Amino acid sequence: MAKPSETGMEALHHLKSTDPPALLAPSPTLSQTARTASQHLFSCLKPYAPKSPFDQLLTDGFDAEQIWQQIDLLSQPLLSTLRRQVKHLEKHPEESKIVLKKENEFLDGERKILEEKETKRFDDDVDDDDMDMDMDEFDDEEEEEEGGRRESEKGESEDESGEMVEGKGGEGIEDKFLKIKELEEYLEEDEAREYGLDRKKKKGELKLEEEEEEEEEEEDEEEEDDDDDELDDEYEDAEENARYEDFFGAKKKTVPKRKSSLSNGSDEDSGLNDDGAVEKKGGLSTHEKQLEKLQSEIEQMEKANLEPKTWTMRGEVTAASRPKNSALEVDLDFEHNVRPAPVITEEITASIEDMIKQRIIEGRFDDIQKVSSLPSTAPKEVKQLDENKSKKGLAEVYEEEYIQKTNPAAAPISFSDEQKKEASILFKKLCLKLDALSHFHFAPKPVIEDMSIQANVPALAMEEIAPTAVSDAAMLAPEEVFSGKGDIKEEAEVTQAERKRRRAKKKRKFKAEAVKRMTKKARDNTALLNHNEGNHLSVPNGGLFS
Amino acid sequence: MQTGEAPASMEVEAIPNGLGIQSGSLPLKPKFEPLKAHEMSDGRVQFRKVSVPPHRYSPLKKAWMEIYTPIYEQMKVDIRMNLKGRKVELKTRSDTPDVSNLQKCADFVHAFMLGFDVVDAIALLRLDELFVESFEIKDVKTLRGEHLSRAIGRLSGKGGKTKFAIENATKTRIVIADTKIHILGSFQNIKIGRDSLCSLILGSPAGKVYSKLRQVAARLAETF
Repeated sequence: MAKPSETGMEALHHLKSTDPPALLAPSPTLSQTARTASQHLFSCLKPYAPKSPFDQLLTDGFDAEQIWQQIDLLSQPLLSTLRRQVKHLEKHPEESKIVLKKENEFLDGERKILEEKETKRFDDDVDDDDMDMDMDEFDDEEEEEEGGRRESEKGESEDESGEMVEGKGGEGIEDKFLKIKELEEYLEEDEAREYGLDRKKKKGELKLEEEEEEEEEEEDEEEEDDDDDELDDEYEDAEENARYEDFFGAKKKTVPKRKSSLSNGSDEDSGLNDDGAVEKKGGLSTHEKQLEKLQSEIEQMEKANLEPKTWTMRGEVTAASRPKNSALEVDLDFEHNVRPAPVITEEITASIEDMIKQRIIEGRFDDIQKVSSLPSTAPKEVKQLDENKSKKGLAEVYEEEYIQKTNPAAAPISFSDEQKKEASILFKKLCLKLDALSHFHFAPKPVIEDMSIQANVPALAMEEIAPTAVSDAAMLAPEEVFSGKGDIKEEAEVTQAERKRRRAKKKRKFKAEAVKRMTKKARDNTALLNHNEGNHLSVPNGGLFS
Repeated sequence: MQTGEAPASMEVEAIPNGLGIQSGSLPLKPKFEPLKAHEMSDGRVQFRKVSVPPHRYSPLKKAWMEIYTPIYEQMKVDIRMNLKGRKVELKTRSDTPDVSNLQKCADFVHAFMLGFDVVDAIALLRLDELFVESFEIKDVKTLRGEHLSRAIGRLSGKGGKTKFAIENATKTRIVIADTKIHILGSFQNIKIGRDSLCSLILGSPAGKVYSKLRQVAARLAETF
């Protein structure tokens, strides 16, 4: 600590020269050298950071955390000023060139390179990502070249791992002060724009980690381009698009670190991928798990299709083809062709009763009107086929027909049935009587030219309708009633002798008759014979065969 | 030529010569009275002879007076029975009113000979438009042996009821004499009766014939 700058530089150099593996193991000497180096750097940066409370980095008896806090206190405002400067330079690129040209004293090569890079970056940097990358690169570059103020600080902050950031010589800090500062500012600004201020720190950490790794792996200070390129590439890989190789590719080492870094870095790109970014070695990825699940589902469904369907899915199923009582368990839907019985509610009954009352009041009953069985028209007279020998001769039949044709009034009533005839006669009689009663004038009885039997009825009854007097006088004369001669005796009264006498008389009569007939016959026969023989004159009497 | 009778019956208008024949005018038409039956064949008598079949002999004897009376009294035709020749002979008289009387009487007697009753045959005398049609069963259909007997039985029916049914329905009289069938009636009715009988001969059942008859009878009755 006697010559802080010298010892600091020496410490830095020493740190730089140590083997990386040696850094891994914590050693007190190494830590001491690291402290001194960081002190040196701090003091270098101090003049540019006006707001810093510490004049020098206090390392004795301080924790790594505490040291880091100090560095942070210093670097934070410094960074913001640098960013401002860089932005300004961005807007006014001529100034940067002027500045560059002004401070072209020291390390032309490096400067030129820087210029180139700056211009290149400024020209090329259209994309923010690139800019960021460049800014980051530049930051890294600065750290690398100039002993990496921030580098060293950050390196010191990570004393736990024992890894130290190699610090390049603080070359041309003053010369490129503005430039560097502006660049830094610009870069930081851009970063902030891109990711936000929070990101900056993380990025810084990320960068630091990556740098450490890569620098350890591929150390080539002089080949800045390569480094840059490598860094570029690496940063591009890391921050732009997370590529498959990053997750599932060759770099198995970097996978966990990358994962953590990336998860902090870009949300959008690696959000989904982070879920999938699981080591294959241990188990299946979620995607694979999903696939497996789908496969199993498919298998299940295929299996189900091959098997016979359940009875509910089949078409017409009879009781025999389904398990017992299975229809009870299933909720079946039937089509009922019958209207369901109406639920009788009070309203319905009330409505019906109202209707009934109304009908009764109106007197409008739907009574069935009896259809009268009497035909409106007279039944057609159906002539029945008489299967008996007709009593009338053919001549009479035609006679009747003729009379009916010519004189319908006088024609006798033509009825098929005897009963009908009788009925009609009775009716006519009745009508006659009624007419006589109702008419004022007298109409005699119509003469029915029929063989009528003269009934032995009192004459008065025949002639007078209203019997005013009743008489016993009969219509027929006594001799009409009976014309008998002699002593009339009934059969019961006749005695035996009388009977015998009667019989004898009868026999005598019969005998006489027979004789008479025989003689007559004989006479006729002889007469016929004579007739045939003789003349052909017809007998006027026609008594040929009597 | 019975010249004596002819001039007596004919009345010739003699044109008196005194009036004189006018030149150009036709002679007046002669007026003749219709000929009497007696004068038809120039005053000669006309005869009809109707042979009597043996089975109608005794019925003829029974019904002679019924036959004789209307012929002699009303038709004014002389009738006698020729016992030797088994014929009924008819002759016109001088006062026979109509020339057709003789024929009518002959038809009447002939109808009786065929088998009709007198009361039925009398209709021939009374009505002009009655005819007698005769045909045989073999004219309709050739039937032999039992078929023939069955056909005859079908025609008559049980107790003759089918025959009577036809008779009553069609106002005809039918006589079935073994294989010969005679129908007496008006032309239309004969046709109907014949159709029914023919259908019976051909084999249709009696019921069918009855139904047809009923329709026919109803139609006939309607016309009056």
